Amino acid sequence: MTYLGQRSDTAEFRRRFRWHALFVVLVFGVLVGRMFQLQVVQGADYQEAARENIIRRVTLATTRGVVRDSQGRVLASSRPSYNVYLVPLVRVDRKYRCLAETESWTKLIDYMRLTAEERQRLEKKINDMCVDLFRRFEEQKKERNKKPVHVPQVLVREDVSRDIVATLETHESELKGVEVVSVPVRYYPYGDLSAHMLGYMSEIDGEMLSRLRAFKYIEGDRIGAAGVERGWESYLRGLRGWEKVIVDAHNTRHSGPEAERLLDEPRRLDPVPGRDLRLTVDIELVEAIDKAMRGQIAGSAVVTDVRTGRILALYSKPGFDPNVLSGGMGKQAIRDAIRRLYSDPLLPTLDKTMSGSYPPGSTFKPFSALAGLRAMDDQGRRLIDPQRTTQCRGFITYGKRPFRCTHVHGPVNLRDSITRSCNVYFYQLGDQVGLDALAKVAFDYGFGAKTGLGVNPESSGRIPTMQWYATHFKGQFRGGFTLNAAIGQGATTTSVLQLALAYAALANGGTLYQPQLVRAIETSDGAVVQEFPPRVKRRIDIDPEHHRLLMSGLYGVVNEDEGTAYNERPQGVDVAGKTGTAQTSHRGVHGEDQSKVWYFNRDHAWFAGFSPFHAPEIAFAVLIEHGGVGGKAAAPVAFAAAKEYQRLVASRMVPKNNQNKAPPGPRRKKGAP
Amino acid sequence: MLDRGEGGFGERIDWALFIAVALLAVIGVVNLYSATSVYTLSRADMYVSQVYFLAAGSALAIFVTVIDYRHFERFAYPLYVAGMLSLVLVLALGKGIRGSSRWINLGGFGFQPSEFTKIWLILALAKYFHDSPRSDGPKLLRELTVPAVLAFIPFFLVLKQPDLGTALIHGLIFLAIVALQRIRISSLVLLFSVSAIGLPLFWMFGMKAYQKERITSFLSPETDITGTGYHAYHARIAIGNGGLLGQGFAKGSQNQYYFLPDQYSDFPFSVLSEDWGFVGCLVLLSIYAFLVLWALRIASQAKDRFGAVVAVGVGALLFWHSVFNIGMVSGVLPVVGVTLPLMSYGGSSLLTIMLGVGLLMNVSIRRPHLAQIHTRQLVFVR
Repeated sequence: MTYLGQRSDTAEFRRRFRWHALFVVLVFGVLVGRMFQLQVVQGADYQEAARENIIRRVTLATTRGVVRDSQGRVLASSRPSYNVYLVPLVRVDRKYRCLAETESWTKLIDYMRLTAEERQRLEKKINDMCVDLFRRFEEQKKERNKKPVHVPQVLVREDVSRDIVATLETHESELKGVEVVSVPVRYYPYGDLSAHMLGYMSEIDGEMLSRLRAFKYIEGDRIGAAGVERGWESYLRGLRGWEKVIVDAHNTRHSGPEAERLLDEPRRLDPVPGRDLRLTVDIELVEAIDKAMRGQIAGSAVVTDVRTGRILALYSKPGFDPNVLSGGMGKQAIRDAIRRLYSDPLLPTLDKTMSGSYPPGSTFKPFSALAGLRAMDDQGRRLIDPQRTTQCRGFITYGKRPFRCTHVHGPVNLRDSITRSCNVYFYQLGDQVGLDALAKVAFDYGFGAKTGLGVNPESSGRIPTMQWYATHFKGQFRGGFTLNAAIGQGATTTSVLQLALAYAALANGGTLYQPQLVRAIETSDGAVVQEFPPRVKRRIDIDPEHHRLLMSGLYGVVNEDEGTAYNERPQGVDVAGKTGTAQTSHRGVHGEDQSKVWYFNRDHAWFAGFSPFHAPEIAFAVLIEHGGVGGKAAAPVAFAAAKEYQRLVASRMVPKNNQNKAPPGPRRKKGAP
Repeated sequence: MLDRGEGGFGERIDWALFIAVALLAVIGVVNLYSATSVYTLSRADMYVSQVYFLAAGSALAIFVTVIDYRHFERFAYPLYVAGMLSLVLVLALGKGIRGSSRWINLGGFGFQPSEFTKIWLILALAKYFHDSPRSDGPKLLRELTVPAVLAFIPFFLVLKQPDLGTALIHGLIFLAIVALQRIRISSLVLLFSVSAIGLPLFWMFGMKAYQKERITSFLSPETDITGTGYHAYHARIAIGNGGLLGQGFAKGSQNQYYFLPDQYSDFPFSVLSEDWGFVGCLVLLSIYAFLVLWALRIASQAKDRFGAVVAVGVGALLFWHSVFNIGMVSGVLPVVGVTLPLMSYGGSSLLTIMLGVGLLMNVSIRRPHLAQIHTRQLVFVR
């Protein structure tokens, strides 16, 4: 094109264009290659990364089952507690910044009225975490295809008041990285009245967590720590679910078909609510026992239905507030309460109905009597004639030692010796039948073995046998041990629960029931999932004549003027039973407070019995620790329980047309006129 | 090949150029719609504004096309000087956006002079090389002093804003044009040794901290997710998320859920990749490659040096803009804020590109046709 020479010539450029073009093609080729690498070769990885950006698994909370008493009154349920959390890193102006440096933090301090100490502690924690997180961001940079760094939450305060919750919600937009989380906290409306029986909840610790991770427990979970809460944990707890949700870069959730299209399957696992429990216990009866025990420092009581083995009342004193231990008042309150409870010499955390065992004293005599009645000599003749009297002069001498009685009873037969609680009669009886014959009857009635109630750790008590002495006393058995065993002293110990169940078996003519505390498992809307029918543990063979004799003796204790509980006899209730005053031995530490030594050296007071005498429905055992004389201290409590039971039964015997009325107890306000 | 028929102006339109640009414009608006579809407020209307800008840009392109480019030749230096003054003005009273001042406010309308100065630089360089006395042998380095100064002034002024990306584009346009010249070997050696010394100095004294940070964060790959690298990281995920065929129009989750903070200005390519996948990227890259190669072709057929240099300059402008942007979005190049021609939202950028396209069309239309030699000889005799 030389003829265009009148203008500037482009010939000089001509060879350059080719190089330019080559360069352009190469560079675009690199870009296409890069796209191929990102989208086709690594496409799946990046798609996964994109999904991780937007899909979050949100835990769906479950609800713990409600525990109700036999009349449907709520004994344990959950209430919401509002916890305030914060995220240590927040995004401000497209950059992550430590929360403690932002305005949100100063505002939070103001709105929550954080104390200086709280403030310092949290600020330090937040700053430490920020340093750690930034370091992890750095590390993350170095590896490819890494998971996003998880930013954990920090607890600011637990169970904040509704005022603060309202303030925080009002100012939500100013408080970046602050979150109010509602968590259920266990609530026990009857407080320490039901403490030992129901137990409480505690946060799962590391050691337990490592064992229970297979059961899907996670950090921060609360788990039943005692009582029904622990024993029936697997039914009560329910199972968490989860749901995948779409969140954007600002952590805002998105829903609707457009967002849900991006979710991969499975999208959701429904939570399973915990089962409700219907107990056999009647909390009103427990209240009556509590009232009757007001004058006493420590003790316990068990009431059981002699026809079913269902436990109607479990009571142990002193108690504790399970609301505090379950975290209803914050973590510090838990620590304080635990420190206080475990340093108390009265052992408030011990369930004295079943976890402790005590010498039963004279309440054991009916079983010794039965051993005597059963006993045969080598020729198959009865060893003991119940009508024959023994002369009680207030003591007998065995070996070189005197064995004392409570009074000088004069001539007593078997029946009178029960009514008047003559030790001398039983010393002789014991000596005649021997230790193992006594133990045999005791084992029949369930002593010396755990009852299997399955709520709190049980003490099996101790019924000494020759074998036992052989192993524990290196063969140094002496005949005097048998004498003590016959009156429920010496090595013999029982739990209150065992005693109540044994008296139930006495009252119903020889049927030992498996005790039950839970009557039914129900769904949260009240449908019965499983009902537990009464279970007989064993039927004890008892001669009707012997039975009549024992009944008569126990009747006399309360209803004859020679009976040991006659002075405390109740009006309008038909009760029979046996008092007990068990000696204790407290080895005082040198320099110990004398009043304390005096208290711990007092005898345990017992009363065990049943009611009504003529058609027994309930059996009970009451222990007043260091309460002194059984007839004085323990019997009134037992009688009060029997009376309350009678009143409750009468009050619930409503006319037929009214039977569908709601059970008594705290009613909801809903629907009230 | 050259014979596209004779006749009027309309028949000599470069239809290939026209169609490529029109295609890009349509894709750009549609993609912008997708990019801003997540927003509900004023940003949702961006694609409408973009259409207005396009209309204005087209008018400008037509205006530039119909004027014989020799008029631009005549006004090249005054335009250049005016452009440099506008850059000085920006530094004097510029409005800060994210730590740099690039804008002049013209009655509620943000105007970005550094976009236009690229064109003024192209024109000035074209004028210089057109006018410079023809040397028979390879050029000496000192013969490049004037064009180097011409390029350095806007480079420096834009860098001061600071806007590293745009400054580099100025520099690279200059290099593309210089690369057309034959230069003596010894001069090239000198040039390389000067830059070998100059670059470290430039790194130490010429660059702002945030610019260095961007480059270091690029060089240590996989980015600092908390800060600078955040955009690049999520943009790359968006591209990969597109896969072979894409997520579908306005369905890319990275875009829809705000993981691409500047998807309408600096990151429209990641939106397109996520929506349309590798196939979509291939189409777009092909159009850009075609445009640049077509500009080179126009340059090769230009009737004079001025036309050739203008065509190469505009080609370089399109090339470096698209390569920088896509390279940055896909993690091949550091994050420097450079727009993607006809895809990014923005009036100044769009008008600049349309101005360039008009110039290309102008050169293309006025290339010599065999059939018109006689008339041309009559018309263009000096």
